[in-house]
Amino acid sequence: MTMFHFLNCAILTFGPHAVYYSATPLSEYDTIGTSVKAVIVYLLTTLLKLIFLATFLKVSENDNFDPHQEFMKTLIGFIDVAGIYFALTQLTHRNISQTHKFQAVGLGWAFADSVLYRLAPLWIGARGLEFTWEYVFQGLEANANLVLNLSLSALVSLMWLRKNKPKSVIPIIYASAVILASMTSIVSYLRKVLGWEPAKVAGFELISSLVMAFISCQLYYACQRPSI
Amino acid sequence: MGGTRRGRGGGEVLKSIYSILLFVLVLVACVEIGNAATAVNVYRLIQYDIAGAPFGSRLSGLNHHAGSSLSSTTTDLSRIVVILPVRELNLALLNDYITRKQALGGLLLLLPERFDFKESAEKMTSDDMDADSLVRSSMVELEKLLIHTYLPYPVYFAFENGILNAILADVRRIDATGQPASTTNGGYKLVVSTWEPKKVSSPTMTNIQGWLPGLKEDGGANQLPTIAIVASYDTFGAAPALSVGSDSNGSGVVAILEIARLFSRLYSNPKTRGRYNLLFGLTSGGPYNYNGTFKWLRSFDQRLRESIDYAICLNSIGSLNNELWVHVSKLPENMYIKQVLEGVSDVARDMGVKIVVKHKKINISDTRVAWEHEQFSRVRVTALTLSGLPVPPKLLESTWGLYDSRSSVDVNAVNRNVKLVAESLAKHIYGQQNRNIEIFAENSSLAINPSYVTLWLDLLSRTPRVAPFLQKTDPFISALKKELSDHTVDVHWHHESLDGMFTFYDSTTATLNIYQVTSVTFDLLLLLVLGSYLILLFCFLVITTRGVDDLINMFRRPPSRKIKAV
Repeated sequence: MTMFHFLNCAILTFGPHAVYYSATPLSEYDTIGTSVKAVIVYLLTTLLKLIFLATFLKVSENDNFDPHQEFMKTLIGFIDVAGIYFALTQLTHRNISQTHKFQAVGLGWAFADSVLYRLAPLWIGARGLEFTWEYVFQGLEANANLVLNLSLSALVSLMWLRKNKPKSVIPIIYASAVILASMTSIVSYLRKVLGWEPAKVAGFELISSLVMAFISCQLYYACQRPSI
Repeated sequence: MGGTRRGRGGGEVLKSIYSILLFVLVLVACVEIGNAATAVNVYRLIQYDIAGAPFGSRLSGLNHHAGSSLSSTTTDLSRIVVILPVRELNLALLNDYITRKQALGGLLLLLPERFDFKESAEKMTSDDMDADSLVRSSMVELEKLLIHTYLPYPVYFAFENGILNAILADVRRIDATGQPASTTNGGYKLVVSTWEPKKVSSPTMTNIQGWLPGLKEDGGANQLPTIAIVASYDTFGAAPALSVGSDSNGSGVVAILEIARLFSRLYSNPKTRGRYNLLFGLTSGGPYNYNGTFKWLRSFDQRLRESIDYAICLNSIGSLNNELWVHVSKLPENMYIKQVLEGVSDVARDMGVKIVVKHKKINISDTRVAWEHEQFSRVRVTALTLSGLPVPPKLLESTWGLYDSRSSVDVNAVNRNVKLVAESLAKHIYGQQNRNIEIFAENSSLAINPSYVTLWLDLLSRTPRVAPFLQKTDPFISALKKELSDHTVDVHWHHESLDGMFTFYDSTTATLNIYQVTSVTFDLLLLLVLGSYLILLFCFLVITTRGVDDLINMFRRPPSRKIKAV
């Protein structure tokens, strides 16, 4: 019965990634290799981030929100953007279109993130007898995270890979990318300083991710049009 | 060659995979522990056999849903742990349930919060006092009921606290909806994972004795008469881990220690050393017909036994009322008894305490020994018991049981009674019966030390002392011995095996984990919601992304999974 709950939460956490892969043309073009490479790049990037965090941040005894520390964390979080850029450009992909490439990278990125940060707590927590909503919210957050990562990799591919984009949208692209990259810090601010409940935080993440996805989508189309 | 190398390599790979697997398994196993939401210390009802007949709670493991009432007729309680607060316990209902021998998953009794070590006793209003005495009487009745019944399910005690009360309120709310607690609708699950209770192998009783030798005129010390002051220190109660017995017989033990301290001061100076030997005894096995006292006396040699002039046994002298009972087993007109009684009553009269003499004949054929002095009387030593109790307790029945904690003892009462006994002893020893002097007067160097008494009372009220669960080398026994050897000489202990008639079982404490659980229905519903969410997501993605590829095809392609499959 508790295994049941674990399976439910696992479906919610990892299901969307599989669905996304199989439903979109990614599966038709067999882009799994790209995603796997993205996963490896993600792992290396995370390692690098951890090293930076360990070097530049003090270990805080309490769980308080320290603006300075959080700013540093946000800065270090931008390493993600570099990682995605690396994954998009430097890796030798099979000849797939830009559109599919960013999706594959974003998907791999989000999946690796989910596995690394959510699988172990899920395995430990959700199988216990005690029932909490925590893991359901965590699953929802994984969903939001997938959308955010896809948006981010779309924007990164716009920023550096597409040359002939309209000048007017460039600042919006950069602003959106910054917002996306600092999403983790924004959520941690909401959680620690404003003391939002988990349900509220998960709702915020879902809504904000959808809004950001809509913006990124519009930007992508806007850049696409001149090239057609 | 290549094959063997590959084989070896494969073996190594396998080995490393196994080691990784093992590591992961160990990690998972470590993680399995301690994922409880709420963990509460619980104390199991005693489990024991008298001559093979089983009594008490016979099981210790618990894994059932929580319920709040015994009276619901519709539900099957055999898989439910019923939580009952003692404060509002319907004892008749419980008694009825037990006598009908109906099945029950388990019983969790919530005791009122302990108010030890708080000076709340003075601040209590009369209403509180009334409620308090009500709780006390119901707890005493409950204990009597539980101790003498055979309960084929686990019974635990816990102290009320905020968390438990909240959970109980929640359980009651769920019960009120009318649906039985089970796996089909959530609620709380109570889990105690513990091993099967095992028999306590060779339980021991430890008697401790110490001497204050009198001043010899000429010849050996054995010529001097001896006065024995004795108290039994062990306890018995429904929950062995909670049986601290502050009044019965912690107060007696404290009195012995304080009297030993007072007389050690007198005896340290040759001028004030009396012509009596004083023998201080802390005996075990009190609840079991003073079995420890019996064996202790039997270990004395004949000459020593005959040299005992009289013995004073102290029992439950910690409650403040102006009456003390002196229990004797010979007629009060008996010459020896009369002599001792007069001494005690004289001092008591001066102190404003009323002494009531109660005579109870010993029936040799009766195995029940209600008072400690009866063991002395059986070996023809003059003895009496000084007690705050008017009637002899029955077998395995202590005064207030679970309720007998620090708050049931008044330090002033103990001080007064110590003074009473010490004064009458001193008058007897120094032959000052008819003179109006106060030896242990306040503010003198021989005054009773209230802080010493309080400290020892506090210690005793923290230490459960059920003899079978006290090891020979228990720190508490060592502490008693050390304390006695600070005041007296020739201190040693006797380890005796407990009467074979009794068998006790261990696992007296445990940790209760309380989990809030969901029902299978809820999980199924969640699965349904998630499944439809994923299907909808799939359809949505098929519609939109194929459209990103080809904007024109967006509405032409049917959003069906069949196409995908093809």
